[in-house]
Amino acid sequence: MRRGSTDLLLLGAVVAVVTAFALLPAGALFARSLGGSGGSGAIASAFTEPADRAAFRNSLVQGGLSAALAMAIGYPAGVFLGRYRWPGRGTFRSALLLPFLLPSLVMVLGVLDLFGPSGLLAGPFPATRWLASGVPGIVAVNLFYNVPIVVVLTATGCEASSSDLEETVASLGGGPTRAYLETWAWPSWVGAACGGLLTFVFSALSFAPPILLCGDRCTTSEIRVYQLAEILGEPAAAGVLALLLVVGFLAPALAYVVLVRRLRPSRGRRHRSQPPSWGAPGTWALALSFGAVVVAEGALVLAVLFRSLVPSGSGATGRAWTTLFSSATAARLQISVAGAVGNTLLFASLAAGVAIVLATASSFVTSRRPALAAGLGLLLFVPVLLSPVVLAEALAAFWRPLLGGAANVWLLIVLSQGLLGLPFAVQSLEIPLAALPRASAEAAETLGASPWGAFVDAELPRVRRGVQTALLFAFALGLGEFTATYFLVTPQFRTLPVAVYELTNDRLFAAAGAAAALLLGLSVVVFALIVASGVDPHE
Amino acid sequence: MSSSRPRLEVERLSASWGRTPVVRSVSFTVQEGEVLTLLGPNGSGKTTLLRAIAGFERPTAGTVRLDGVDLAGVPPHRRSIGMLFQEAALFPHRTVLENIAYGPMLQRRDERDLRAVVERLSALLTLGELLDRSPLELSGGERQRVALARTLAARPRLVLLDEPFASVDVEIRADLHAEFRAALREFGATAIHVTHDREEGFFLGDRVALIFDGALEAVGPPQELYGHPGSARTARFLGYNVLEGAGGPIAVLPDDLTVVPDPGPGPTYTVRAAGLVGRGFLTVLEGAAGERVDLRSDRPLPVGSVVGLRWSRGVPLPRAGPADPRG
Repeated sequence: MRRGSTDLLLLGAVVAVVTAFALLPAGALFARSLGGSGGSGAIASAFTEPADRAAFRNSLVQGGLSAALAMAIGYPAGVFLGRYRWPGRGTFRSALLLPFLLPSLVMVLGVLDLFGPSGLLAGPFPATRWLASGVPGIVAVNLFYNVPIVVVLTATGCEASSSDLEETVASLGGGPTRAYLETWAWPSWVGAACGGLLTFVFSALSFAPPILLCGDRCTTSEIRVYQLAEILGEPAAAGVLALLLVVGFLAPALAYVVLVRRLRPSRGRRHRSQPPSWGAPGTWALALSFGAVVVAEGALVLAVLFRSLVPSGSGATGRAWTTLFSSATAARLQISVAGAVGNTLLFASLAAGVAIVLATASSFVTSRRPALAAGLGLLLFVPVLLSPVVLAEALAAFWRPLLGGAANVWLLIVLSQGLLGLPFAVQSLEIPLAALPRASAEAAETLGASPWGAFVDAELPRVRRGVQTALLFAFALGLGEFTATYFLVTPQFRTLPVAVYELTNDRLFAAAGAAAALLLGLSVVVFALIVASGVDPHE
Repeated sequence: MSSSRPRLEVERLSASWGRTPVVRSVSFTVQEGEVLTLLGPNGSGKTTLLRAIAGFERPTAGTVRLDGVDLAGVPPHRRSIGMLFQEAALFPHRTVLENIAYGPMLQRRDERDLRAVVERLSALLTLGELLDRSPLELSGGERQRVALARTLAARPRLVLLDEPFASVDVEIRADLHAEFRAALREFGATAIHVTHDREEGFFLGDRVALIFDGALEAVGPPQELYGHPGSARTARFLGYNVLEGAGGPIAVLPDDLTVVPDPGPGPTYTVRAAGLVGRGFLTVLEGAAGERVDLRSDRPLPVGSVVGLRWSRGVPLPRAGPADPRG
């Protein structure tokens, strides 16, 4: 493999940004926590303090349950999406990305709107009310948020398998079960496992759903870090717990980084989707599971929209929106709704810019130096591994004094959002890039293009959809990012997700629902714009 | 083929895949305007050698000099070496015209020059109708013609052709050979053409270099190499049978062999298979030591029958032939 100076330069730039805005601040935070007078006591306390232990147990239970159920529900749906060709498949696949555009707060409101005491399903099906609170409610929110990840990654795994190999097995007399075991069982389960690992990490580190649906009883380690740092005034204990959290979740994060690389189709290996064989009962089961996922996600989104128009109880139609745009709400939020929308879009756009620039540089480096891919992948995953609360706390402690106070806090919000979206943007780019034959870039180089020029001229245009998806992911995660933003934000920089949280926390559910619907509407518009911007016909 | 200084000098070049040596101390030169064919079986190291010359593989030893300049450390895009790939590697997001203009555009050549080179290449390779099309709409042969035009338009000092006809339909391959030969000579291109197809290699090359197991076995003009194979291995690769004659090993073409139904005390051969090839039959025989002998005849011989052979013409080979572990 050839090596040049451009890839080294870009590698250095990516490493420098992640180091400066994640590793260094987090390292400083941990060092300060461990080195202070209460450091040793804080370590002992993290293992013995009942609240810390309970928080860790809650994280494991909520994360584990959510991951197992997400894989069980998402795997068959992902198989249907990845293996079969049917009308509208691309649209449905794109639509499944919609939940990523929303903060988990919207999912919380959706779950309440569906299963809560005055939920749309609670009347006709009272037995479903248990899904609106406690651990079941938290798991339900986690599932609505994460099952689409499992579905899409399982489908990607199916598509990484070789149709030629499968047809060879069939031609040698192997039936569908043998073909499954020999060819696509492994990649499809690798995809599902990647989704499961992400679900576990996201759910175990979730912040808003446990607070809003369960309270102290279901506090996760993430919330505990926040409580120790912001409410109880014990930064050393918070730092130590955060460090233990990082160490504890290193294994699933590492497993994700290693496994997700296996989802890349080998160069020249082709997957051909087949029309569904409706004669087989298994196909119906797969189709029904996919349909169930789509219906459930759609129902949740529609419930949020419906409740924003028709509030529960005695509220008149439209009251939610009037309340949301009232001066009282603006006074409560210390920012107008229009201002919050502006902040949300601006920060998400800048975060997407940060992520796409770093993702492009990283993809170029790994395409030229594959040996560095796993290490670089893990480095880029560090912000997610740190969790939004720890990342925000570390950024605030390290950079806020250097940036000169609250006026520049928007920069930290943008960087935290960009870094949290970065690993997913990278994956969206690297998977299609890995499938491209190298000959195009090499041909461009023999015609005089520099390695970077060949990458930009010959490879990036061929993965336009991957670039769009990377941008979508980064923008979506920025748009919906709540936890890190909430930790860093000052009133003038409040975003719509923060507003939804504040209003929900104040039990102003109608206004919160309208704010969530507004966020949903924005997401749908942006989503539609990106999808409508075109699918690369050359892919 | 006029200049005294070679355009390309490859000296003791070696390359490996991990710890496995793939190219072993290969040395040769290519003169300006010359087309050298690198001919060898699959896995013999041809493509690796080509990629090392282009700068895509790092040699473990040896030097590559272009016009006297050592290319060590020079990245591919600064070597002025154009390469044609087996799959054409056209940019699918650009039209045919944009593909051809890519190299001149990077060199910031002026509009008039660009138009002239595109017109010349379009005429030479009959691409006029295709210029506005997407590469995705082209046949395999058309894609390779565009790829050659794109390479030549950049005016490289050396063109490398890595089995460019391997994925082209056989019925148009002969036409492409002729077009490529004409275009390379018309442009005065210096080129190395890699193939495992001996007819293609001999047709396109001014000289042919045979490569086996990563090492050069023989280099020479096609007629010289074909007329004097030099070793049993070369002879076999070129389609000769290697038989034991009275004065030592001898290379005999299948057309020059005739069957002796009653061989007498001489060596005998058993017919293993026979089939129609073209206007005649190809019969595969096996000697007493298990060696394969091919024979062309007007009639098929019964499988299992034992015959003797005689030949009308043959090329004597050095005595080392029978000691060759592969022969």
